[in-house]
Amino acid sequence: MTTAPSPFVRAALDAAATVPASGIAWLDTARRENLDAFADAGLPESRNEAWKYTPLRALAQRSFALADAGIAASAPVVPVVLPGVDGARVVFVDGVFRADLSSLDAGHGVELSSLAVALVAQPEPLRFALANRYRRGAADAFAHLNAALATDGVVLRVADDARMAKPLHIVHVSSGLQPDTAWHARVLVEVGKGAHAEVVEHFVSVGDGAQLGTVVADYAVREGATLGLVLLQDASAATTLVRRGHVRLDAKAGVTVHAVELGGALVRHELTAEVLGDGARFDTRGVFALSGRQHVDTQLEIHHRARDTSSDALWRGIADGRSRGVFRGAIVVAEGADGTDASLSNKNLLLSAQAEIDTKPELEIYADEVKAAHGATIGQLDERSLFYLRSRGIPLVQARSLLTLAFCRAALESLSNEALREHLGELLVAHLPTSVTE
Amino acid sequence: MNESENMTRDVAAPVRDNAEVEAALNRRYEAGFVTDIESTSLPPGLNEDIVRQLSAIKGEPEWMTEWRLAAYRHWLTMPEPDWAKLDIAPIDYQSVSYYSAPKAGPKSLDEVDPKLLETYEKLGVPLHERAKLAGVAVDAVFDSVSVGTTFRKELAEAGVIFCSMSEAIREHGDLVRAYLGSVVPVADNYFAALNSAVFSDGSFVFIPKGVRCPMELSTYFRINAVNTGQFERTLIVAEDDAYVSYLEGCTAPMRDENQLHAAVVELVALERAQIKYSTVQNWYPGDENGVGGIYNFVTKRGDCRGADSKISWTQVETGSAITWKYPSCVLRGDRSVGEFYSVALTHHRQQADTGTKMIHIGKHTKSKIVAKGISAGRSSNSYRGLVKIEKGADGARNYTQCDSLLIGKKCGAHTFPYMEVKNPGAIVEHEATTSKISDDQLFYCLSRGIGEEDAVSMIVDGFCKQVFRELPMEFAVEAKKLLEVSLEGAVG
Repeated sequence: MTTAPSPFVRAALDAAATVPASGIAWLDTARRENLDAFADAGLPESRNEAWKYTPLRALAQRSFALADAGIAASAPVVPVVLPGVDGARVVFVDGVFRADLSSLDAGHGVELSSLAVALVAQPEPLRFALANRYRRGAADAFAHLNAALATDGVVLRVADDARMAKPLHIVHVSSGLQPDTAWHARVLVEVGKGAHAEVVEHFVSVGDGAQLGTVVADYAVREGATLGLVLLQDASAATTLVRRGHVRLDAKAGVTVHAVELGGALVRHELTAEVLGDGARFDTRGVFALSGRQHVDTQLEIHHRARDTSSDALWRGIADGRSRGVFRGAIVVAEGADGTDASLSNKNLLLSAQAEIDTKPELEIYADEVKAAHGATIGQLDERSLFYLRSRGIPLVQARSLLTLAFCRAALESLSNEALREHLGELLVAHLPTSVTE
Repeated sequence: MNESENMTRDVAAPVRDNAEVEAALNRRYEAGFVTDIESTSLPPGLNEDIVRQLSAIKGEPEWMTEWRLAAYRHWLTMPEPDWAKLDIAPIDYQSVSYYSAPKAGPKSLDEVDPKLLETYEKLGVPLHERAKLAGVAVDAVFDSVSVGTTFRKELAEAGVIFCSMSEAIREHGDLVRAYLGSVVPVADNYFAALNSAVFSDGSFVFIPKGVRCPMELSTYFRINAVNTGQFERTLIVAEDDAYVSYLEGCTAPMRDENQLHAAVVELVALERAQIKYSTVQNWYPGDENGVGGIYNFVTKRGDCRGADSKISWTQVETGSAITWKYPSCVLRGDRSVGEFYSVALTHHRQQADTGTKMIHIGKHTKSKIVAKGISAGRSSNSYRGLVKIEKGADGARNYTQCDSLLIGKKCGAHTFPYMEVKNPGAIVEHEATTSKISDDQLFYCLSRGIGEEDAVSMIVDGFCKQVFRELPMEFAVEAKKLLEVSLEGAVG
C-alpha cells in the first residue's frame, strides 16, 4: 500500500508497540506477522466483496488505544447473570480477565482457564490455533488485528466422554470507563470425543462509552461430540464489535448455535462451520432486532467436506429506524461430499422507510448426490395472518406484536435450555421496535 | 474421430455399447464449419487510430466517431472485472482484429454470396424460405455487417424501423443519438466500454407510438473470420403503447482459438410499451478439454422508462466457453414489469456466470425471475442476480426462483443472489434448490423402456419447461433440440 495508513491502522500499530513480548518465540512471530499483514492491507473497502454492505470509511477515521488494564481490573461491575446459565463463569472487563468475577470450576473432566494462564502453563497445545495465518488480505483485517493484539481469552477443554452439566458463561463486559479504547479476546474450545459441552458467549456494556471489541473463537468438536453454543450480543449503542467464530466438526459431531443480536452500533459477526467428518450435523438459528442507527452484518458460511453431513440454518431479521441489517449465508458442498443435506432460510421484516436490509444466500455445490436449498424473503407481516387474528377480535396492534414475536421466536424454538430460551424471548420483546409493540 | 461422422443412430435405442457412448461423448460441434469467403479485416490491435479507421470504414458521422473515442479513452482507465466465478485465461486485447466484413456489400438477397446462403442452410436457417414460411423478418449478421434484410417493406408500412445499426446511424442519426448509450452508458462496465468503442454492427429497432409490430423480428449472428472479435450493438426502442417481440440466436463455426465477443443490447420501453426479447445462444463452447470456444461478455439492459411498461428477457444459453451475462431491467416507470426466464446449460469445461438484475425505482413495480441451471461434465454454472428495491418503490414485488441440476460428479452449480431492500412496503422472495436427476425418475423411465439419454433429456426438458413456454414457438422447438444435442454424452 502506498497510501498513508488510516488513523485506525496507526492507532492499532501504536497499541501493538505497548504489548509486551510473550516470551514464546512462535507466538511473538505470529503476532508480528499478523500485525504486518494488517498494516499492509488496512481495513477492507466496500469494493471488497466480503465487506460490500458494511462500509468502514467512518471507522477508519477513528482511533482506538488499547484499554488500560489497571482501570479494567478495578472497574466496578455487577455480576452478569443469565437464567439457566449458572455453571462456570469467565468474565472479561474491557478485555481483561477478572478472576474476582469468575468461577473456573466447570466440573469433572473439564479444563477451564484464561488464555494468559494457559500460555504460561502449557503453550504448545495452543500453537496450532494461535499460529494460524489468514490469507484473504483486507477481508481478514480484524482477524489479523485480533491475532496481533489479543493477549487473553478463554481456553476450555472437555475430555473425551465428559459431559458438562451446566453451560459455561463467557462474559465480555465493556466498562464504559474507557471510551475510545479497544479490547481483543480469543476463545479456544475443544470438545473431546463423545463429550458434550454448552457455552454461552455473552456481550454486554455497562456504560455507553464507544469501544471496539474483537473476538476470535475456535471450536473443535471431536468425533461423536456435541456442542450447544449460544451467542447473546447486548452491547451498548456505541459499541463496535467484530466476532469471528470458527467451528470444526469431526465425524458424527453435532453442533447447534443460537445467536441473538440486539445491541451495538456496528457489529460484524462471521460464523464459519467446517463439517469435516462423515455424518456430522450443524444447525444454526439466529435473529437480529435493530433500530436507531445500528448496523449488524452477519456472515454465515457452512462448508460440507464429508459424506452424509447435514446442516440447517434459520435466521430472522427485523430492521426499524435508520438501521441496516446485512446477512450472507453460504452453503458450500465440496467435491465428494455426497449425501449432503443442507438448507438455509433467511426471513426479514423491514419496518421503516429509512432502514435497509441486504441479504445474500449463496449455494456453491461441487457434488451431485446433494440436497441443497435456500430461501430468503424481505417484506412485512403477512396481511392474511393479520386479518385472521383481527377477524377473531384481536386488535391490530396486538396482532402485529403477536406475529412479530412469533416471527423472531422461530429462531429460539430449538433451544433446549428452557429458562434461557424464555429469557432471550423476553429480551427480544424488549428490543422490538415500539411500532409493533404499542 | 471417425465415429463422429456417422452419428445417425436410432435415438430411441438405449445406449448399451461403450463405443457408442464414447462416440457420443466425443461428438464434434455440429455447426462447426468455416465458410471460405474473402474478408476485409483491420489488422489486429486496438488504439485510437483503429477506432477512427473503423468509424471511417462504416462512413459514420463525426459525433459517432467522437462517441467511440470517448468510450475507448474511458476503457483504457478501467480494470478488467474479476468478481465473477470464472476462470479466464488473460485476454490479449491487442491480438484481436476489431473489424471484418464480407468484401462486397450486397444490396439484396439475390446478390448475396451463395456460399453465405449455404452457411445459413447448414445451420437450418434458409433465409428466404424461412422468412416466408414463418413470417419472420431476418436481419442476418455475417461477421460484422448486415448482408440481407427482409420484409423491410411490410415493416415500413407499419412504421417500424428494423435495420442494421450502421444503416441506422447513417439514416436515423437523430433517433440513434437520442437513445444510444442511454440505457448502458459508455462507461458502464469494462466490456460495455470496449463495445462502445469498437462495435461493428447490430440491429436497430424502432416501434412508433401505438404500433404492434406485425411480425417477430429476428437476427442471426454468426462469427466467421478467424481472429475477429464480434461486437454487436443492438438498440430497441418501443414508443408509447408499442409492442415488439425480438428473437436473437447465434451459432459459430468450430475453431481452436478463443474468440472475444462483447455485445451490448439496450432496450427502451416508453409508456405502456412492451418488449419481449428472446435469445438462444449456441456459440462454439470449446471441445471436451476446454480448448477453443467463445468468450461471451454481454451487457443487456432494458429500461422500463414509461409507466405500465414491460420488458421480458428469455434466454437459453448452451454455448460459449465463457458466459458473462446479466440481462437486466430498470423498472423506472410506475407499475412497470420486468421478467427474466433463463436456462443455462454447461458441459465439458464450459463456465457460465449469468443471471439478472431487477432495479425497482417506480411505485408498484413487479419483477419475476425464473432461472434454471444445468451443469454436466467438468463445467461450472453460476446464477448471479441482484434485486434492488429503491426508497421510492412503494409496493414493489419480486419473486425469484433458481434451480440447479447437476449431472455428474465433477461439475459445479452455484447461486449468488443479492437482495437489497430500502422500502418497507416491498416484498422480495427468493428460493433456490440444487439437486441431481433423481434415481427414482430415471428408474421409472428406464423400466418403461426409455433409454437413459432420452430419459435424461425428458427430465431436463421438464426441468426447463417454465422457461421454454415463454419462448416463441419456433424458438422453443429449437431450444429443446439444442439442449438434447448439448447434453449428449453427459450420461452413460
